Amino acid sequence: MMIRKKGIMANLGTGVIYGIVILLGLICLLPMLNILAISFSGSDAAAANIVGFVPVKFTTAAYEKIMEDRQFWRSFGISVFRVGAGLVINLVLIVLMAYPLSKTKREFKGRSVYMGLLIFAMLFSGGMIPTYLVVKNLHLLNTVWALVLPGAVPIFSVIMVMNFFMGVPKSLEEAAVIDGATPLQVLTRVYIPCSKPVIATIALFSIVGNWNDFFGGLIYMTKVRNYPLQTYIQTLSVKLEDMLNSGGSLSSLINAMEVSSQNLNAAKIVVSVVPLLMIYPLLQRYLITGIVVGSVKE
Amino acid sequence: MSVFGARWCLAGLAVCVMAAGLSGCGKEDKNQEPVMAEEGTMGSYHQVLECAMGRRTLANPKFPDGDTYEDNAYTRYVMDKLNVRILDDFEANGEDYDRQVSLAIASGELPDALFIGSKDILDELVENELVEDLTDVYEDYASDYIKEIYDSYGGRCLDTATYDGRLMAIPGTNLDSAPCVAYVRQDWLEKTGLLVDEDNDHCLTIEELEQIARTFLEQDPGGSGNPVGLAFVPYLTADDYGGSGYTINAVTSAFRAFPKLWIRDKSGAVVYGSVTPEMKETLGQLAKWFGEGILDPQFGTRTWDDITALLTNNQLGIAFGPWHIPDWLLNNVKGMNPEAEFAAFTVCDQDGRVNVAHSNAGNGYMVVRKGYSNPEVIVKMLNLFFDDVVNHPDLEQEAPEVAAYISQGVDNSARPFQVEVNAYTSLLDDYADIKGCLNEEITMEQVRTAESKSIVESIRRYWAETEPEVNDWAKYTSRMCGIELIESLTKNEQFQWESPVFRGTTKTMKKSSASLGKMEEVFVGIVTGSIPLDGFDDFVADWKAQGGEKIMAEIEEALAGEQ
Repeated sequence: MMIRKKGIMANLGTGVIYGIVILLGLICLLPMLNILAISFSGSDAAAANIVGFVPVKFTTAAYEKIMEDRQFWRSFGISVFRVGAGLVINLVLIVLMAYPLSKTKREFKGRSVYMGLLIFAMLFSGGMIPTYLVVKNLHLLNTVWALVLPGAVPIFSVIMVMNFFMGVPKSLEEAAVIDGATPLQVLTRVYIPCSKPVIATIALFSIVGNWNDFFGGLIYMTKVRNYPLQTYIQTLSVKLEDMLNSGGSLSSLINAMEVSSQNLNAAKIVVSVVPLLMIYPLLQRYLITGIVVGSVKE
Repeated sequence: MSVFGARWCLAGLAVCVMAAGLSGCGKEDKNQEPVMAEEGTMGSYHQVLECAMGRRTLANPKFPDGDTYEDNAYTRYVMDKLNVRILDDFEANGEDYDRQVSLAIASGELPDALFIGSKDILDELVENELVEDLTDVYEDYASDYIKEIYDSYGGRCLDTATYDGRLMAIPGTNLDSAPCVAYVRQDWLEKTGLLVDEDNDHCLTIEELEQIARTFLEQDPGGSGNPVGLAFVPYLTADDYGGSGYTINAVTSAFRAFPKLWIRDKSGAVVYGSVTPEMKETLGQLAKWFGEGILDPQFGTRTWDDITALLTNNQLGIAFGPWHIPDWLLNNVKGMNPEAEFAAFTVCDQDGRVNVAHSNAGNGYMVVRKGYSNPEVIVKMLNLFFDDVVNHPDLEQEAPEVAAYISQGVDNSARPFQVEVNAYTSLLDDYADIKGCLNEEITMEQVRTAESKSIVESIRRYWAETEPEVNDWAKYTSRMCGIELIESLTKNEQFQWESPVFRGTTKTMKKSSASLGKMEEVFVGIVTGSIPLDGFDDFVADWKAQGGEKIMAEIEEALAGEQ
C-alpha cells in the first residue's frame, strides 16, 4: 500500500511539473501562433484586434507584398552574408584565443595579462560614440564588416570555450604530443573534436546574435539599402501615433499607414524568424551539454 | 611598481599610440572655393556643385524601380536645373535620423545641408556656431512667390528660425489646422433617430456631445454588446491640432482652455494653459462623465491602438482628431464595416464660439553647414520645389518624371529639400478648387495642384460607383466633411483665435520641463476620481513652486525684451 501511495504522490509530482512545463511552453508558443494568425488576416481585422489563433478574413496579401519588396530581400541577403562571415570569424578567433588561454600560467607566460584585458573589455565598453568614431575612421561605415568586426571576439564565448578546453583530459594531449603532433595539430585533431558541444553552442550564439542584432545596422549603415534584415524590419514598424505627434504630413502618414498595418508587420516577423527556426533544431541537441559541461573543471 | 602594474602601463601606452595613429588619418579640408553660377533665383552652376546631405527617410517612399533617395526624379531635376549633385552622407527614418544627426555632430562632420526636425537640435547647432547664417542668401535668392508664402504667416514662420535677428535655417511652414474634429458615426445618428445640431452649423455644445455619447452607450447601435461612450488617450492633450488624435482638445475648446500652450490670461499676464481655472473646469466635466460611465471606464490604460480597435469593432462611435483622420485611420473602420459613415463636428462654447489657438508656424528646418562654399543652394532648391514645380505651366512636357512622381504619390521626403512650404491659406484655397471643380464652376485645368486634381477624381469615383473604394470614401469624408467644417467655421466667423505668446525654450524649461510635464499625469487621476477635483489646485501650486513660476517670469522677460 505504502509503495503504491508513494507512486501516486510521485506521479502527482511529475504531473504538476509537466503541467508547469506545458504552461511555460504555451506562454512561448501562443504569441507566435497569434502572430502567424494575424499575418494571414485582413489588415482591417488585424487593426480591430479581433484575431486570436485563427486568421480572420484569410488573405496572403501581406506575404505577396513582402515578395514584391526588393529591399526586404536585399536586406535578407545582407543578413545571411553577415551571419556566415560572422560565424566563421567568430569561431576561428574564439577557438584560437581560448586554446592558449586554457593552458596554465606556467605553460603560457603572460596569460593573466591577456585574461585581465579580456575581463576588463567584457565589463567596460567604449560606449556608442567612441566605437562609432573608430569604425568610421577605419572606413568601415556602410560595409558589412562594420557589423561583423566590432563583435569578432565575443569574450563570454571565449571564456566558455576556454573552460571546456580545460576540462579535456590532459592525457589526450600528452599522447598526441608523444606521437609527434604540433600544437596546431593538437588543437585541430584533439581539442576541437572533443569539444563539439561547446562549439555548437557558441556557433548558435553567434548565429542568433548576428541575425537578431538591429542596432548595429542603425548606427553603422547610413543608407537604407545597406541595412541588414532586422534593422530594415525595425524601420518599417512605424507608430502612426508618434508620427502624427511629431508633425508628420498627411501624405507621409498615408504612405506610412500602408506599411504599418499589423498584418504586414506580423508577416515580416514570421519571414524573418523562419531561418532561425530551421537552424535551431539542428544545433539544439548540443546546446544544453555545451553550457553545463563547460563549467566543469578538472 | 609591481610587474603586473608595469604590464598595464604598457598596454595603456599601446592603446594611446594606436589612437594617435588613427587620429592622424587625414581629415581633408572641406571648405572650398564657391562654385560660380548664373544670375537669378535659380541660376545654374558653371561646374557641378556637390552637396552632401543628411536625409530623413520614410519606410514606404514608393519609388519606382531603381530609384533611391540619392538618385530619383527630384535629385535628377536638381542636377538638370541647377547643376547640383546631391550625395547622401546618411539616410535614416524618424528617431534613427536624429541619432545619425547626433553622431554627425559628435564626430564633427556635418553634411553640407540637412534637415533638422526639432527646435532643440537647431538651438544646439546655432549656439555652437555649426550652421551658416542664411539671412542674406534668403534675401538675395528667395523668389517673390516664396517670400509671399512666408509673408502670409506675418513673420510667425521665419521667426521660429531667427536668432538675434539672423535667419539661421529655412523653416518649413505649418498652417493652422484647427479645430480638433469630432467624427461621429452618421449611420448611428440616423439609426437612433437622435436629433442634434439642429442649426446645422456642425458645432456641438458640450450637452449635445454628452447626449450623443450617452445614446450610443445606451442603445449600442453598432451591436457590439460592449459599447463605449467617449475614449481618450492617457496623455489627454496636444499642443497642436495636427497631433490632436484621440485627445480632449475639442472639449477644451468649449471651456476656453488651451493646454500645453503659453497664453495671456484676462489680466494680460503670461500663463501656462494647462494650469488655468478653465482647464480645471474641463477636467471637472471629464470626471463627471467618467463617474457616469460615459467616458471609457478603462480610461488611463486604453492606448491609441486600443481606441482604434474600439472604433473598428463598432464599440465606439466618436473619434477626435485632425481633419484628415479618415484618410489613414477611419479607413480601417470603413473597411471592416462598409455601412459606416462619418459626419464631422466640433465642440463650441455656450456662445457658439469655437475657441482655437494658432499653430506653431514652423515645422522642421533645413540648415547649411558653417563654411559650406555655396549656402545659397538651399534657397535655390526651395525656389525649385515650391515655386518652379508648383507653378510650372507645363511640367508634364518638360519634366515628365517629376510630374509622374507627383501623380503616383511618391513620398515628399524624396525631395532633397525636406520640409513643406505652403501658404497660410493653402488648405482652404485647395479646397475651394476641389469644391469648385466638383460643382463644375471651374474646369479640371484650372485646379491648381496635382494633388487636388487627384482628389477631385477620387470624389467623382466615390459618387459614381455603387460600391466605392475605401480610399475614395476616405478622400470624400476628409475633404467634403472635414475641411468643409473648417471652411464653414471660417466663413461664419465662429473661430475665436488665441495666439500663444511664446514657443521657445527658456533656461528653466530646459532644466525642468521633463519633471513639470510628468506632473501633468495627475490629470488622469483627477478624471478617474482617484484624486478629487480640488487636487488640481495642489497640482497648480506644486507646478508653480517647482519651476513653473520661474518660467513664466522668464517668458515675461523675454517678451518684454522683444518690444
